[in-house]
Amino acid sequence: MSGESATTAIHKGQVDLLDFIDWTSVECLNQSTTHSLPNAIKQGYREDEGLHLESDADEQLLLYIPFTQVIKLYSIAFKGPEDEGPKTVKLFSNKEHMGFSNVNDYPPSDTVVLSPEHLQGKPVLLKYVKFQNVRSLTIFIEDNQTGSEITKVQKIQLIGSTSKCIDVEYLQMFLKIGGKIVYFEMGNDNH
Amino acid sequence: MVLEATMICIDNSEWMRNGDYSPSRFQAQADAVNLICGAKTQSNPENTVGVLIMAGKGVRVLVTPTSDLGKILACMHGLEVGGEMNLAAGIQVAQLALKHRQNKKQQQRIIVFAGSPVKHEKKMLEMIGRKLKKNSVALDIVNFGEDDEEKTEKLESLLAAVNNNDTSHIVHVPAGPNALSDVLISTPIFTGDGEGGSGFAAAAAAAAAGGVSGYDFGVDPNLDPELALALRVSMEEERARQEAAAKKAAEDTSKQGGEQQAGSQEASSQDATMTERASASTSEAENKTTDLMDDENALLQQALAMSMDEPAVGHDVKDTDMSEASVDDPELALALQLSVADSTKDQASQSEVLADQSAVSDILASLPGVDLNDPSIKDLLASMQNKSELQKKNDDKSSNEEKK
Repeated sequence: MSGESATTAIHKGQVDLLDFIDWTSVECLNQSTTHSLPNAIKQGYREDEGLHLESDADEQLLLYIPFTQVIKLYSIAFKGPEDEGPKTVKLFSNKEHMGFSNVNDYPPSDTVVLSPEHLQGKPVLLKYVKFQNVRSLTIFIEDNQTGSEITKVQKIQLIGSTSKCIDVEYLQMFLKIGGKIVYFEMGNDNH
Repeated sequence: MVLEATMICIDNSEWMRNGDYSPSRFQAQADAVNLICGAKTQSNPENTVGVLIMAGKGVRVLVTPTSDLGKILACMHGLEVGGEMNLAAGIQVAQLALKHRQNKKQQQRIIVFAGSPVKHEKKMLEMIGRKLKKNSVALDIVNFGEDDEEKTEKLESLLAAVNNNDTSHIVHVPAGPNALSDVLISTPIFTGDGEGGSGFAAAAAAAAAGGVSGYDFGVDPNLDPELALALRVSMEEERARQEAAAKKAAEDTSKQGGEQQAGSQEASSQDATMTERASASTSEAENKTTDLMDDENALLQQALAMSMDEPAVGHDVKDTDMSEASVDDPELALALQLSVADSTKDQASQSEVLADQSAVSDILASLPGVDLNDPSIKDLLASMQNKSELQKKNDDKSSNEEKK
């Protein structure tokens, strides 16, 4: 599970958190009905150039992504058009059901300012410390690159690891120092 | 059945004292609010409704969104009329109340009763509208009471700003004989978005319209689906049989009257059957068995024959006669038919007697201990036949052949 998908894993031990998203409770405020959130995060849809997430009344977007288990978030990658792609993105960890009115009442867990370079899909490293115990992630896209009325996002990729995963580097170090493993299971454990 | 949290904004400003909506604008509004609350809570038990007033001393929330209908109705008591309506503040407070709803899975909706003039700028209303849309709050506007172009224009622009995929609506209710609630019942505010009406709304509509419901057979499919289904099925069977019989009769009468008659005959006979079935008792629908088939065929013939004439005033009487006859014993049926035959014109009585004759022979055949070859019975049949010997011997033969 960790490190197996060479295409998506950016760093050893990190995976694309797509599988851990709780799709039933995913919400997005101010999205256009024709261009909705699944276009940007669902497997297959997000790779499709023609499908993107678009904002509706104004340029801000508020995404709420809960997970099926507790995860650690390592980095985030965006893909979008150069002019209408997102610029300032605020991330909130474990804040449920935020609205546009109270989104600025809380300090964000991290703030990301995207450059056109980032919009090609280059992942942005986050403050890992702040995202150790993430049950849900709220992504607030505050504005876009050119200040246009509509923000468009083609793909959002969340990279991290689950708590149950053993960090591979830690494991390698453990083995190096002569540690012995009696029972070894990666991934979902039934303890 | 959409899971929804609704905030209703009531206008209790001075303009609501006016009596152009009976008994007063405020009372009409209160009735409408009660109905809406009922409809919302009935369509989904988990729905919640809250109420706030926009005038008086200021915008005040009377009830936060709750599914307790009693609480909502209670708070409507003792409301005082006065002050000026503050639409913008009212909507914003409603939005805030919805934001703090307990069940976050509920869709957010605001219903505004705008009776007094709107003093806010159009731009401001549009901004509010966009904010509502951004937070995915739907808005229903009931424009009643004061009527000026500016107000209508402002409310329309507010709706345009909020509307996302037709989830928001505006209804203009002019003053008139119809009560505010009655007018609202048929609007999407009550019926929801394309749901086609909840059971409550439909029942309320039926009651309000004074018993004239839009349903066939006067039975609400929501209240009694099995009965409605049984009636519909029996109706279709009748129609099919009626058409088959009508075609045969049409062939007969085409010799004299031409196709026009047959056409009208078919149409009117269908109508006759339909009204007949509609007014028939429920037991009749259920008792439709093949045992009665013969009697019914005879009755059909009679129906056809009678509807060859213009549908007479006594039609209803005959309808009830025929329906009774099918349930009671055949002798009574015969008596009824004969009495009916006497009371109509010659032309009609001709065909009726024809029908009678075939009916009689059928009935007699079905009676135990009756032999059609018995001389006394033959005499009886012959006497009936004599009456019809004045005209239409062809009909006799064809109908006799048909029956035998």
